[in-house]
Amino acid sequence: MLTLNVLYDPDCGLCRRSHEWLAEQPKLIEMTFVPCASEEARKRFPQLNHDLTKKDLTVVSDDGAVYFGPKAWLMVLWALTRYREWSYRLASPELLPTTKRVVSAISQNRYQITRLAGLNR
Amino acid sequence: MTIVVTTYAVYLAISIALTIWVAHTLHKNGRIFLVDVFHGNDALADSVNHLLVVGFYLINLGYVSMALKLGYAINNTQEGIEALSVKIGMVLIVLGGMHFFNLFVFSRMRKRTNKRQDHPPVGPDSFTAVEQEAA
Repeated sequence: MLTLNVLYDPDCGLCRRSHEWLAEQPKLIEMTFVPCASEEARKRFPQLNHDLTKKDLTVVSDDGAVYFGPKAWLMVLWALTRYREWSYRLASPELLPTTKRVVSAISQNRYQITRLAGLNR
Repeated sequence: MTIVVTTYAVYLAISIALTIWVAHTLHKNGRIFLVDVFHGNDALADSVNHLLVVGFYLINLGYVSMALKLGYAINNTQEGIEALSVKIGMVLIVLGGMHFFNLFVFSRMRKRTNKRQDHPPVGPDSFTAVEQEAA
């Protein structure tokens, strides 16, 4: 695995901010950022369910493995030099249910969080 | 030869022998670690190993020669042996400290590279076709 393609929601301020933060982090694995359900995304992943990618963060590795929702977040952490250890910790059987709950809650409420935190610019 | 000079000579002989022995042990056994750290790149491992041992020699022999001077008179053999024992003890502690520091460096290097080889924390949900970019 050489590259992770991160399909993010360009309409969400929180996601755009996270994207900026991610772009600056030192990485163990390269990441490319593709706006979800965009023409570029449809071209690169013709068989992917693009309506689903609008609902939650999706990561596709360059060998075609699809990670959706909490798994996508863990893969993004895993790609970062400073947070790889955390990805294992959060994916451990003890913590995975909590991780999934927290991540889903953030994803589902991302527009509200963006509004509350004033990230809409 | 006076007792003091004899003490110094014995001190130097034992200290240098100890340093050589520890450095040799490090050199011989550290290599396996380093080859693993550098993913089987023997030349690089040998080079780093050699550099580490040179540093080890410099620090230890530097300490040995700085700690040579006794600073008080010795009147008989008993006092000579006592002084020698304190000096050698210090050298052993410094060598031990340096040795553990080296082990720490080795294990840190090893841990750091191991992290890079690890598998993803979770398995994929599904697989999809990827169109290679024209660029």
